[in-house]
Amino acid sequence: MPLNREEVEEIRSILGREPTIEELAMFEAQWSEHCSYKSSRRLLKLLPTTGRSVLIGPGRDAPAVEVFPGIAVVFKIESHNHPSAVDPYNGAATGIGGIVRDILTLGAKPIALLDMLYLGDPRDGRARWLVKGIVRGISDYGNRIGVPTVAGDAWFDSSFNTQPLVNVACVGIARTEELVRCRPASGDLILVIGNPTGRDGLLGSSFASKPLSDNPSEDIGAVQVADPLMEKMLIDSIAELVQRKLVKFIKDLGGGGLTTAVAEVAADFELGAELRLDELHLRTELTPLEILVSESQERMMIVISREKLEDVAAVLKKYDVPGSVVGFFDRSGRIRAYYKNGLVADVPARELAKPRDIKRSSKPPVELVKLLNPVGDLPEVPVSEALDSLLSSPNVASKRWIYEQYDHEVGVRTVLKPGFGDAAVLRLDDSRGIAVKGDANPRYTAIDPFNGAANSVAECYRNLVAVGSTPVAFVDEPNAGNPEKPEHFWYFEMIVKGIAWMASELGVPVVGGKVSFYNEDYRGRQVKPTATIVGVGAVEDVSKVKTMDLKYEGSAILVVGHTYPELGGSEYLARVHGIEAGGVPAPRPSSELRNASYVAKLIDRGVALSVHDVGLGGLAVAIAEMAILGGVGVELYLERVPCRGCSRLDEVLFSETQGRYVVEVRLEEVGGALEVASASGVTAAVIARTTGSKFFTARWGSTTVFEKGLDYLRELYEDGLRKYMV
Amino acid sequence: MGLYRVVAVVSLKKGLKDPEAETIQKDLVLRHGYSAVKEVRVGKQLTFLVEAESPEEAISYVKEMCDKLMIYNPVIHELYVTLHA
Repeated sequence: MPLNREEVEEIRSILGREPTIEELAMFEAQWSEHCSYKSSRRLLKLLPTTGRSVLIGPGRDAPAVEVFPGIAVVFKIESHNHPSAVDPYNGAATGIGGIVRDILTLGAKPIALLDMLYLGDPRDGRARWLVKGIVRGISDYGNRIGVPTVAGDAWFDSSFNTQPLVNVACVGIARTEELVRCRPASGDLILVIGNPTGRDGLLGSSFASKPLSDNPSEDIGAVQVADPLMEKMLIDSIAELVQRKLVKFIKDLGGGGLTTAVAEVAADFELGAELRLDELHLRTELTPLEILVSESQERMMIVISREKLEDVAAVLKKYDVPGSVVGFFDRSGRIRAYYKNGLVADVPARELAKPRDIKRSSKPPVELVKLLNPVGDLPEVPVSEALDSLLSSPNVASKRWIYEQYDHEVGVRTVLKPGFGDAAVLRLDDSRGIAVKGDANPRYTAIDPFNGAANSVAECYRNLVAVGSTPVAFVDEPNAGNPEKPEHFWYFEMIVKGIAWMASELGVPVVGGKVSFYNEDYRGRQVKPTATIVGVGAVEDVSKVKTMDLKYEGSAILVVGHTYPELGGSEYLARVHGIEAGGVPAPRPSSELRNASYVAKLIDRGVALSVHDVGLGGLAVAIAEMAILGGVGVELYLERVPCRGCSRLDEVLFSETQGRYVVEVRLEEVGGALEVASASGVTAAVIARTTGSKFFTARWGSTTVFEKGLDYLRELYEDGLRKYMV
Repeated sequence: MGLYRVVAVVSLKKGLKDPEAETIQKDLVLRHGYSAVKEVRVGKQLTFLVEAESPEEAISYVKEMCDKLMIYNPVIHELYVTLHA
């Protein structure tokens, strides 16, 4: 977003004179929504960010939490929605590059990537072209830097046909005492290392802070070509610089380029800086303005003491990473940039780094009321066909087409591979590990952003619990529309409030995140506003980790939690009845906590054989997935499902009531399991048994509701997405 | 009607960084002393055998096909279509 008149006026009064063009460009980059959070900061303060495990909260390039004594996890999420809309391959790839560099800034070793993709309808040609480019971009970049993509989320909806959401996260680990947490001091040198700076990505943050133009070819300046080889060299060289304690501070040169990196560090540590722009290594001849705000990829800023320069230079040379000393920090509180001995910019760091908060007006769109109307009388449809339709929905169906393009096993840490568990599990040492997962439901948040966002948090929590981990922390990424439009900003406000509420009810801090605005197409239509949540859980004993595939014939299947008639916003309603409306399933934080702690007990005692959380598509889909993946038949007795207020079969089968799990338990353990449930006030009931037949059968009393071959269901599930993509 | 061999070359637009080409230039060409090479660009070449009334028709047929099938991304790539010599 170019600076508006008021902002230019404010810059004049900050400087007490007319700004130079270089200064204006610096302010434009730094005061963009993307870099400054000027519209969102006020609301983000609602998020619970503290907790016993939190080592570093929001504010740095990435937060850090202690998952086990002495072991820190550094993780962060970011969006590359706008770049991916014009150049899906490089846009998504450079998103991975950026998030990996955020993790490097604390000296952590990146061990896993996640991709949360909210994509167009795969039947649409342009949407499909975007999907393929995005997935290949992530795959190529991740595979080449040797970091496995282990988990994620994928959703297909025509509102994302021209503006997809590409949210990526990276997880890194470090010994707590080795995290880079020094303060840069006056006199320390500022180095830029990595790719030579070019004209690419000029004012890219400013580009991401406005709607896309209807002719994307005009947005050429925002396009950056990914260079994973350089990223790999950065990862390796920084690992050595950190291990030999040669650096004091590291920062990604991301949005806003050199200007943002220097201004934020100076402002955070009450320093100033003197820059010699002509010292920076360049790819092509650039003007001082371009040097200040270029967002060329695969670059980082490192801060070192002067006496370490020789050692640092030797390390960089060893890894063939170009670098240049572009200046030093001082006590002036001002950023002074020189180009060939002329002073081109002289601005106060604090005012540059932190523009005034903007209080945006917010109001719910009037047409929203229609969406919130309760679901009326639905026509009765054959539930058997509805199940087929749900299993083959690209949102529910196997995401194998995506994850088989990723190398999800490099680094041999992957205990739980994509497709079999509700979350991925990565090994830390012989016994311990971490679980990671990313979630969102754009339909829920489009209908009801507060409850929808709360449900994203709860879903992520359940996924972490279902594999046998204890949730430790979240990061979040609200993807919203144009903050200047009150009807768009309202969604953002409600999403943040929903996340804040559920996270604090569950007692899990939101330690960092990113905000993405201006997700609208060139006609100004907002895409479905989406609250993406990524969570990390601690796994005490990786040998106890649970997958969702059914294991044996002759075991009992337990459902944990009540089912309510909550079809509003469900996949069933959308896919089978073509309705995207109705009150979304109510978030139930105390049921979430109670049921999660019960499931954790079953896993810890070795009673649970397989666990799956109930999500999209409801109970029927959850059990079908377990049967398909395990190749084990199921007989389901619908009259035994603990329900409140359900009056129809489709409500029992497809309601998306939150807080529920399906657990496979050995027959002889059922009594014990149910006793524990009633002792802890948890609703649990045996609703099905596994069989030696290759069928998924559902009965109501003596009536057979459906009987389906597992091979038939597997084909629907495996083909639902693939059939459009290959 | 005749058969024409039409070549389509897709490469990154001038001004965009070409990491693969830079690596080839730095780690292969220059390292082995071919210092007269000042720049390398990398692209993808597709050859089509096309039945058409004239060479011009064959070329425009291929151009249209590359556009419609999104064989390249006009935002970052340039497409060069020519008749095979």
